[in-house]
Amino acid sequence: MMTECVCNPISSRSKMAELLFETYGVPSIAFGVDAAFSYKFNQQHGICTEDGLAVCAGVTTSHVIPFIKGEPVLEACCRTNIGGYHVTDYLRQLLSLKYPYHMSSITWEKAEELKMEHCYVALDYASELEIFQKGKKEAEEKTRSWQLPWVPPPQEEAPSEEELARKAALKEKQGQRLRDMAAAKRSIRITELENELHGLKDLLQQLDQAEETEISSILSKTGYDSRQEIESATQKITQSLRKAKGEQNETEERIDASLAEKYPLTNVPDDMLTPEQLKEKRKQMFLKTTSEGRLRAKQKRFEEESMREKQNQQEEEKRLENPELYLEQLHSRFRELTEKVEQRKRLKTNGARTNGNQNLSGGVGRGERLNAAQKERMRLLTTAAFDRGKGEDTFGARDEDWQLYKLMSKDNDDEENGQEEDEAELARVTSRLQDIDPTFVAKSDTVPLQGTPELPRFRPLTAEDFQIVIGVERFRCPEILFQPNMVGVDQAGLDEMAGVSFRRLSTVDDAVKDRISNSVLVTGGSSLFPGLVPRLEAGIRQIRPYLSPLKVVRASDPILDAWRGAATYAASLQFATQTFSMQDYYEKGEGWLRQHHIQYTL
Amino acid sequence: MEPEVVNSEMLLPPVLPFKRVQMSDKYPKGHARGRHWKHLKQILQAENYPSYPANEPNYLNIETPPSMYPSKKFCDITGYEAQYIDPRTNLRYANPDVFKRIRMLPDDHVQRYLALRNAAVVLK
Repeated sequence: MMTECVCNPISSRSKMAELLFETYGVPSIAFGVDAAFSYKFNQQHGICTEDGLAVCAGVTTSHVIPFIKGEPVLEACCRTNIGGYHVTDYLRQLLSLKYPYHMSSITWEKAEELKMEHCYVALDYASELEIFQKGKKEAEEKTRSWQLPWVPPPQEEAPSEEELARKAALKEKQGQRLRDMAAAKRSIRITELENELHGLKDLLQQLDQAEETEISSILSKTGYDSRQEIESATQKITQSLRKAKGEQNETEERIDASLAEKYPLTNVPDDMLTPEQLKEKRKQMFLKTTSEGRLRAKQKRFEEESMREKQNQQEEEKRLENPELYLEQLHSRFRELTEKVEQRKRLKTNGARTNGNQNLSGGVGRGERLNAAQKERMRLLTTAAFDRGKGEDTFGARDEDWQLYKLMSKDNDDEENGQEEDEAELARVTSRLQDIDPTFVAKSDTVPLQGTPELPRFRPLTAEDFQIVIGVERFRCPEILFQPNMVGVDQAGLDEMAGVSFRRLSTVDDAVKDRISNSVLVTGGSSLFPGLVPRLEAGIRQIRPYLSPLKVVRASDPILDAWRGAATYAASLQFATQTFSMQDYYEKGEGWLRQHHIQYTL
Repeated sequence: MEPEVVNSEMLLPPVLPFKRVQMSDKYPKGHARGRHWKHLKQILQAENYPSYPANEPNYLNIETPPSMYPSKKFCDITGYEAQYIDPRTNLRYANPDVFKRIRMLPDDHVQRYLALRNAAVVLK
């Protein structure tokens, strides 16, 4: 006895038959609809009569099957592709979108568990929604929250005195070790440098003592090009030696002195030099200016740093004098800066935002130049380019015309630079405020282009952050059984399906229809939602004529009744008349399989 | 059969007594026949329903037609009744607070909300 869905496609049936016969050696098979078995079982137990309607809310589909004289009328049954699976999936997606940080905890199995425990069907969807929307007290009672496992960060205990002392001693030891290592390195380096210095001094002595002709040979051996190089190398080494020994650095003066020495030709006026020497002179001037530039840059940096130090000191003094006033000033400055930055951002992105995603390529269309800078640019272009009047366009003839483009791009740059400065200051002020003021929370009014739902970062996470609150979702998810449009499935819900089924029974008398509606059985796993039966009853009553009899009951065991029905069917004596065996299958083939419908009343 | 089943001798004994044709006979080792499960759409296409008389019930026949009543529109985020649509993202919302939240959503969240309603634009 094999259960299948209503109107099973033939290929599925034949594949199943093939599998059963060949692999498992089953002697004979009968195929039947599971909802029908459930109905028969309940009929035998008197829960429903022989004319009735079976509403089966399954896992992936929901069926409505009318029964007349105990046999299902397959022409009039209907199927919607929404079932318990879709309800669980809907719940899972909603929760993970609402709590993206806990997405990993919201698994399919957990969603199923939540659905089975907490979901219910609202008798009147609109009024339930209103309860929650108005925030009445009932809404709070109906809201359930699920606490995720969360361990509060371990409290740092104030270390005891011993621990403190121990830690201090460790640090001391480490510091001492580091200092020893540094000293060892330094002494090694000093000895190295001294050796080098000795070598170079010897070389110089050699050069002094040797004659002119031998100079070049000695030089080529050592790899230095001229005596000057050797001298400069010795100077460098002596400097680093001094530094390593920790003496004062007299580099500045030395460099100044050596500058003049290194570039002797620069001081000599041009006309006294030969062409070669001129080239030399130009090289030396170049070198001199670069090194001078470097010196100047160093000085400037030093000055800037000292200025900043002074500023910081001043601020500290101000803070110590009058902390409240200082705080207020900082707050007002922060507000100003945020406003400015926001305004700039708004101006800048005004054009881009309102036009959505269509102008990503930067091509500005005809009517959309809302940005001030863009407007300015267009103005420049039109006035300059078409200034000549009618006829000829002599735009590029003069050189000054091309300066236009520089202007256009410079405009943009300037604004950006200004904005960057503002933003930098804003960041600085924010950090100062954070340091000083414990109650300060940076208002993130600026809408980032890719805004993420943010947890406010300025307080530690509490247990509440790890709670998943299920309020509206409790009855929103099972609602899709009745309103499949909520998930985009363009079909009718359970209550309307009953109406469709009745309509398809057009050949049947009203009396029979009354009997049918008097015994509506709700079966299938998804019918276990509390509140489903009253809701279905209300829905069917809307469709049926006024005061016609209506009785909706749930099967005694919606999940297992199909199996029980099939089991009793298979155990009955006449079961053998309904099955077909392997020979039948091979002889008659697939076409016959389509006609195979069992008779449910035995 | 999936290669995992072919290879997993730990989970299933190699010879199941109630089977006439053992898995190892059908798919000798190393020649795991690929997954040839057809999807529902393929099965239905292969069925060739239009060639049969239309009043016989078959799998496609008995599908429920679209609902007669106009669908109620609900807010995509909170679930309340939604009277407004955000023109930029096409999400439905119920009140201005929800609107603010919609504007702060990252793009893939927006697409997922739309996909829940089967309204996402799928670029093929």
